[in-house]
Amino acid sequence: MLQISPVEIKRQRKLVIIWSITFMVVFPLLIILGLLMRLNQGEDINLGADTFYTLMTLHGLGMAGLLFTFSFAGLWYLVGTRQAKLNISVGYFVYTLVLIGVIGLAIATLIGKFGPGWYMLYPLPFIGVNWPAWSTGLAIVSLIIMGVAWLSGIIHLVSAMSKEFGGFSNLMGWQYLRKRKEGERDLPPIVMITTISLVPGLCAFLIGAAMLFMYLMQLLEPALHFNPLLMKNMVMFFGHTLVNITLYCCVGWVYALLPEYTGREWKTDKVLVYSWNATFIFILFAYFHHLYMDFAQPSAFQYIGQIVSYSSAIPATAITMFGVISQIYHSKIKWGVIPVCFLIGVAGWAIGGFSAVVDSTIAVNSVLHNTLWVPAHFHTYMLGGVVLFILGLIFYLSHTKEEQEKDKTAKFGFWLFVISIHCFIGMFYSGGLNSIPRRYADYKGIPIVSVHHTGALLAEIAALFIILLLIGLFIMYFAIIIKLSKQKNASLIKSV
Amino acid sequence: MNEWFSETMLRHQLLQLPAMLALGIFAGFWFSKYFHISFTVGITLLIFIMFSFIFWMLPHSIDLAVINTSFNRAMHVNMLLAGLFMIPILQSTLFEVKIIFLGMLSSMLIATGITLTVYDLLLCSSYNIAQQKETGSRFIIAGIILYAGTIFTFIRGSGKQ
Repeated sequence: MLQISPVEIKRQRKLVIIWSITFMVVFPLLIILGLLMRLNQGEDINLGADTFYTLMTLHGLGMAGLLFTFSFAGLWYLVGTRQAKLNISVGYFVYTLVLIGVIGLAIATLIGKFGPGWYMLYPLPFIGVNWPAWSTGLAIVSLIIMGVAWLSGIIHLVSAMSKEFGGFSNLMGWQYLRKRKEGERDLPPIVMITTISLVPGLCAFLIGAAMLFMYLMQLLEPALHFNPLLMKNMVMFFGHTLVNITLYCCVGWVYALLPEYTGREWKTDKVLVYSWNATFIFILFAYFHHLYMDFAQPSAFQYIGQIVSYSSAIPATAITMFGVISQIYHSKIKWGVIPVCFLIGVAGWAIGGFSAVVDSTIAVNSVLHNTLWVPAHFHTYMLGGVVLFILGLIFYLSHTKEEQEKDKTAKFGFWLFVISIHCFIGMFYSGGLNSIPRRYADYKGIPIVSVHHTGALLAEIAALFIILLLIGLFIMYFAIIIKLSKQKNASLIKSV
Repeated sequence: MNEWFSETMLRHQLLQLPAMLALGIFAGFWFSKYFHISFTVGITLLIFIMFSFIFWMLPHSIDLAVINTSFNRAMHVNMLLAGLFMIPILQSTLFEVKIIFLGMLSSMLIATGITLTVYDLLLCSSYNIAQQKETGSRFIIAGIILYAGTIFTFIRGSGKQ
């Protein structure tokens, strides 16, 4: 059985706290960018289209990168303190490279005014742009640096787990599909989910690297002209997989941490293995639903996109939700802020996932694709799902089991945050249903008066809820910082 | 022999360069028994190998290697050295570095291959457009094979380190 020394646990804890503090600083800054964008759409401020798209790019790239990185850091901590020995230097290496990448992206967007949107759809970064070529180059190189960081982390994590559990097939849980040997070690669900999330990530990041190399070549040789459909397939394979596995990485924590509050074990079994192994395939092919609008894409891929998107909703989602319900039903759980974060996070995943499935229906997508429905669904499972899982983990680091049950400040901040999130997202959904287009800097140019007014009004109301959710977030931060500083003082006294 | 290799772009890029690399790799098996390369030196040498590949894919370098004898010899020596170091480095370095090196190499091959197939201007004056596009399509195939090989190596090799 694996023995992880207290010193090693302390080191891993320090690293995850550094990650948490970084998250706590960067996350509200990126929210403020979102607030500015909504205020601009609400016609309360006038950023101008150039600045709006710069902010939109940084907000999108920043959030996708930050949430994936923290979801990975959380897995790293939970695996490194319970399941496998991880090299802390690799952890710091990943942190440093990600930080360099983030600084590069911030310079490229805020100073260089790089603004083609978060997925930099080809040929947007190169044709008729109003930003200098160096900012495009810096953004591409920064993304490559972050990609190398993520790849290093993924390879190390999966490799260390594989060493601990006797090979890759055991990580996938295939030993549960045959007759198990006497005394064979149980596979914790977090280990299987980590593998199933991160291996498709590895495949996608390498394709992302090829795409970024092509972008670099395009930058160096403007006469080049790549096939935009091929580029979009590559971008979406990379981007969709990144966002998808962010969610699954966080779900891994729920499997590991929720049993601590319900007092019930959450074991791997055949059903779990079948469902998550199916998810492994679905992660790789679901991205086709991003290309429904591309008439040149072969029809077969469009159908595959719809079928796989529908199928992906069943195994991992349904099994996890059923698992969560059976964990908490009659468990006498005390509803402190941590289990509530996980439960409401799973609800956010379910609601966002449902609206994603609705949007992945070809007939519906042809109506909703270019409306605010799309930001509505991904904000639901990212903000209402992933962010709540992350906050749950940060509370887990700062609060003891008893403290999190009693901390009224944290609970107040949490509920203010959650209610504001759903009201804010509600404005996006209403926008989608009212045909308000997405990716518009403002709605002044829309000739249909009702659409213009509704869009601006919904954006103004959304901005109000963003302010409220920021207040809720800072209240939670206050509760976290107080507990973390108390822990630090206690450890200082202990060492003296 | 050298003339035959330099006759078409495909032979030059996908036969001659890998052949020199392979010769280096075979020599490297012997070489690796006698030399231990430290981690930091290994990383430096991997960067050298990566830059060697990039350098000999540049159109101007390809042209010069065809028309200038000394440049051609420099290319042979460079690829031989790259191959010579590759095995001892890959044997002694971290598993993570190995996979990233192979993965990034596959990404570069795919990206270069696609670029060569779509570019309608002649990049190397020593060859023609048809050869350029053919070389590009073979690069894509080589890149995809290496990509699959990287994933396979990762899955098979993880846990054995």
